[in-house]
Amino acid sequence: MSADIQKQLQTLSDDYQKLQGDLQTNVQSRQKLEAQQQENLGVQREFNTLPDTSDPSGTGQIYKLVGPVLLKQDKNEAMLAVTGRLDYIANEIKRIEEKIEGIQEESEKRKMEIYQIQSQAQAAGAEDQAQAA
Amino acid sequence: MASSRSGGGPSMRVLEMEKMSLEQLKAVKEQADLEVNLLQDSLNNVRSATSRLELASSALQDLSLRPQGKKMLVPLTASLYVPGRLDDADKVLVDVGTGYFIEKTMAEGKDYCERKINLLRSNFDQLVEVASKKKSVADEAGVILQAKLKQVAPSP
Repeated sequence: MSADIQKQLQTLSDDYQKLQGDLQTNVQSRQKLEAQQQENLGVQREFNTLPDTSDPSGTGQIYKLVGPVLLKQDKNEAMLAVTGRLDYIANEIKRIEEKIEGIQEESEKRKMEIYQIQSQAQAAGAEDQAQAA
Repeated sequence: MASSRSGGGPSMRVLEMEKMSLEQLKAVKEQADLEVNLLQDSLNNVRSATSRLELASSALQDLSLRPQGKKMLVPLTASLYVPGRLDDADKVLVDVGTGYFIEKTMAEGKDYCERKINLLRSNFDQLVEVASKKKSVADEAGVILQAKLKQVAPSP
């Protein structure tokens, strides 16, 4: 195999490796987002089971943990915050999924190129041997 | 390549795997093993979450039996306790996640724990099903891989 082809193969496989690494980190961040989405959905479901009017005397008061203190919070405000977060997370998931798809396409392309170069090199090698014999 | 893995029963899958090359089969087996491990991890997580909730539930049950004004020792750290008196056992603060807490009555708090436990149980059962299916795929791939390796090996 000539040094030229070897070099080409090397750069291609480096690219491929890098793409695989990218893929891994993106898949991980999507998993994290999904976990956050589940948690927020759980909170939303819990808010929805609360009585509509938050009577000042009774239960159903929502508190938010800010640093080490619990702050009283209005139910509507809290629900708005959670829906906002869910929207944001859904958008992020969509964005990362598109990114993952792009990376997968790219790495598939690299793989095919590597295959092609390898099989070409093999064919050339076989020819050389035939001539030598 | 082998993307049509969903259709057909186990026999279909075996036939499909019989047709694969050694490299492909190895890749399939590795992938299946990886997924089995991942599912096993999630199962463990669900199990520990369930046991935490069960602990909370039993603590609530315990608390609800004490009368108001009951003297008790409150742990500040694992080894430091201060005397205290039970003020109001009917109102509890429930951590619903992402930094939000909701004040509930004792009954509502117990109900919350029960609901969460039931939710986790049903998730757990679903996960067990998926995990056992994946495990059988991994095992099948392993068996076929072994058979193929044997076919290749004894011809030196």
